[in-house]
Amino acid sequence: MGQGHLGRRQLVLGGAALGAGAIAAPPVVGQSRPFAGQTLNGAAFQSTFFEYLRAYFPEFEEMTGARLNFNTQAFPVYNQRTDLELSTRGSSLDVINVTFIYSGRWIGAGWLANLSDFVRDANRTDPAWDAADFVSGAQSAMQDARGNTYAFAWEAGAMLMAASRADLMDRANIRMPTTFDELLGACEAMHGREGLSAFVADQLHHWNWIPYLMGMGGRVFRDPPENLTPTLATPEAIRAAQWYADLLSRFAPSGVLSFSDDQAMRTQIAGRANFRTQAITWLVPLAKHADSVVKETVRYSLMPAGPSGNFPGSNSHGLGIPVGSRRKELAWEFIKWALSKQMLNRIVSERGYPSVCRRSVITGDAFKSALTLNGQDVASLYLQVLELGGRSGYMKYRTVPVFPQVGDTINRGIARIATRQQDAAASMRQSQQDAIQVLQRAGVTVDAG
Amino acid sequence: MSALVQPLAASPKAAAGGRGATLARNRFYALCVTPSLVVLAVITLAPAIYLLITSFTPLDLTRPETAWNFSRPFANYQEMPADSRLINSLWVQARLSFWTVLLQLLIGVGFALLLNTRSRFIEALRTVFLIPMVLPPIVVAIIWKVLYTPDISPLHWGTTLVGITVPALITDPDWALTAIIVADTWQWFPFTMLMTLAALQMMPQEMVDAAKVDGASAWQMTWHVTLPFLKGVLLVAGLFRLIDSIKAFPLIFILTEGGPGSVTEVTNYYSFLQAFNFSFLGYSSAITVVLLAATILMSWAIIRLVGWGQHGE
Repeated sequence: MGQGHLGRRQLVLGGAALGAGAIAAPPVVGQSRPFAGQTLNGAAFQSTFFEYLRAYFPEFEEMTGARLNFNTQAFPVYNQRTDLELSTRGSSLDVINVTFIYSGRWIGAGWLANLSDFVRDANRTDPAWDAADFVSGAQSAMQDARGNTYAFAWEAGAMLMAASRADLMDRANIRMPTTFDELLGACEAMHGREGLSAFVADQLHHWNWIPYLMGMGGRVFRDPPENLTPTLATPEAIRAAQWYADLLSRFAPSGVLSFSDDQAMRTQIAGRANFRTQAITWLVPLAKHADSVVKETVRYSLMPAGPSGNFPGSNSHGLGIPVGSRRKELAWEFIKWALSKQMLNRIVSERGYPSVCRRSVITGDAFKSALTLNGQDVASLYLQVLELGGRSGYMKYRTVPVFPQVGDTINRGIARIATRQQDAAASMRQSQQDAIQVLQRAGVTVDAG
Repeated sequence: MSALVQPLAASPKAAAGGRGATLARNRFYALCVTPSLVVLAVITLAPAIYLLITSFTPLDLTRPETAWNFSRPFANYQEMPADSRLINSLWVQARLSFWTVLLQLLIGVGFALLLNTRSRFIEALRTVFLIPMVLPPIVVAIIWKVLYTPDISPLHWGTTLVGITVPALITDPDWALTAIIVADTWQWFPFTMLMTLAALQMMPQEMVDAAKVDGASAWQMTWHVTLPFLKGVLLVAGLFRLIDSIKAFPLIFILTEGGPGSVTEVTNYYSFLQAFNFSFLGYSSAITVVLLAATILMSWAIIRLVGWGQHGE
């Protein structure tokens, strides 16, 4: 009885302890959910990566107490909006996708926060997060000349070739082309078989055409990033433009010049077009997409080589923080969480995402298994392309701040040739002249003549 | 007489009082109107002035130092004649505007004349014809994108069935602009139809009766009575459509992005590219100023040339 009865002293002590606990409690809760009540505004272009990542958002919200408001838009729409938003140095976005072709421009203009400061600070970043684990080729576009990092890559795009109807090729005794000439020959042999278009591409010629331009010995700028004089009217560029435009006009489906990435992918998935040279993200669905009718017939290879070599496109997109964001700490927590080894391994093993940029994930079993497509080791092709791009630096042309403007003149030049509005020489001369005009408007000095 | 003189003598006073009242009334009106004028100035005039000022700078969003740089105020304007894409866009704009306005007026008036009768069926039909006009422009653009994309288009499917191969219209340089004109006309002829119908229903019956008494045929009635009566309305409708055609954007953005090449790149779209894809806000502003001036001049010239007509007399 005496044991169960509370004395006055115990009551006072108990009350004091409870009071002290109540006072001490908020900091403890605050530390475990340090961002409770905050909203993180994010934006990126539509991609399977963010589609997959979105499924795990509740975990981040549970961990931090913050709410995630993450919007994705179509690629051109996203780039336009973000470009404008960054230029105002506004605070409406806290974490953004740093698009490859805009990275030089956004970093150069000082619109992104320096993430190296976050990485170096042990209070903000556990060294086990391992920033050095990101593939250098993918990260190079996210850094300035002094080596400061402004984004961490979530996607490394490596251009490969995929043939959706390898069964038809086998029957015709045609192997996967390894050179431009073989590609042309294979297209001639395959076009029209069972209603098949031999080749398909999307309308982003300034991405799709450049490997063919470089393969024939041409280049976009004279010596990027130092000398940005465009070289679009050289004999090599004219030959490459004619060659690629012929590929589109002779072997691609009707209306190909207005095809988006997704449209081109769906044409292949439906087995209506055979070859496509494009980043791996758009080719893996041929083997994995639920709607694909070519899962059993798809075949992958490296991009074919031209007389001057093999220059498959590689790119990367990263997550960065706008300099105007008022929630940089929370944004950094999000980037660390989204691009941690654990999360990327989960996305690879649970969803089969093919374009990760952490070396430890790429060389892991989960990635290799996810990229064994129709019996082929596509992971090794992927690594080969990333190494090619990283080693020789031929992708530098793409991250100069003025590439979006020059890219537009390339798109229009190729379209003019493919629709026979102009011959290749006239069209590329026009593109060269337009490119010089926009470069001069941007304050870039170009070589005389 | 004195009774007459009395009020006359008092009239200067009365007049002064009247003037005072008028002044007070005018001051009161001015006071009432001032807030509206201020709001109007802030939301329309201020951006227009900012646009004009910006056009005298090389403003490039990636180079903040260009924001208030007036060292070469006319550089953007001097650059324009040498910009072949801009010149081409003006020509594309002229063709687009001419054909869309003409077709929308012709089809709109034609349908209005046909539908200017009173029956439940015709009234229902009028409502159906108005649907394209009330759809959001993006929806209209998507409808036509589907129709023009060979893979998924019922139009292409149908023509293939009867053995006719139609090219992909929006990527064919011979057809791309026509494709835009057709889509724009489909969306906006109901506007001219609606305005014409409204005017036709206000047409005095005496005019019609008088013409009938004079023995006018249906054709003479249309040509000599109806069309002159509609002149003012058609001018207003035409001007509205002309100004709207210069602002054409969603159809071009969704269907062709100005291509193939620059076949459908109108000046408005080119200006958009300069500003929002390339960040050349200064140059884009200069293009917009020229476009605005051209629109005002064209409207003025058309009004002078055609006149407002005899509507209502």
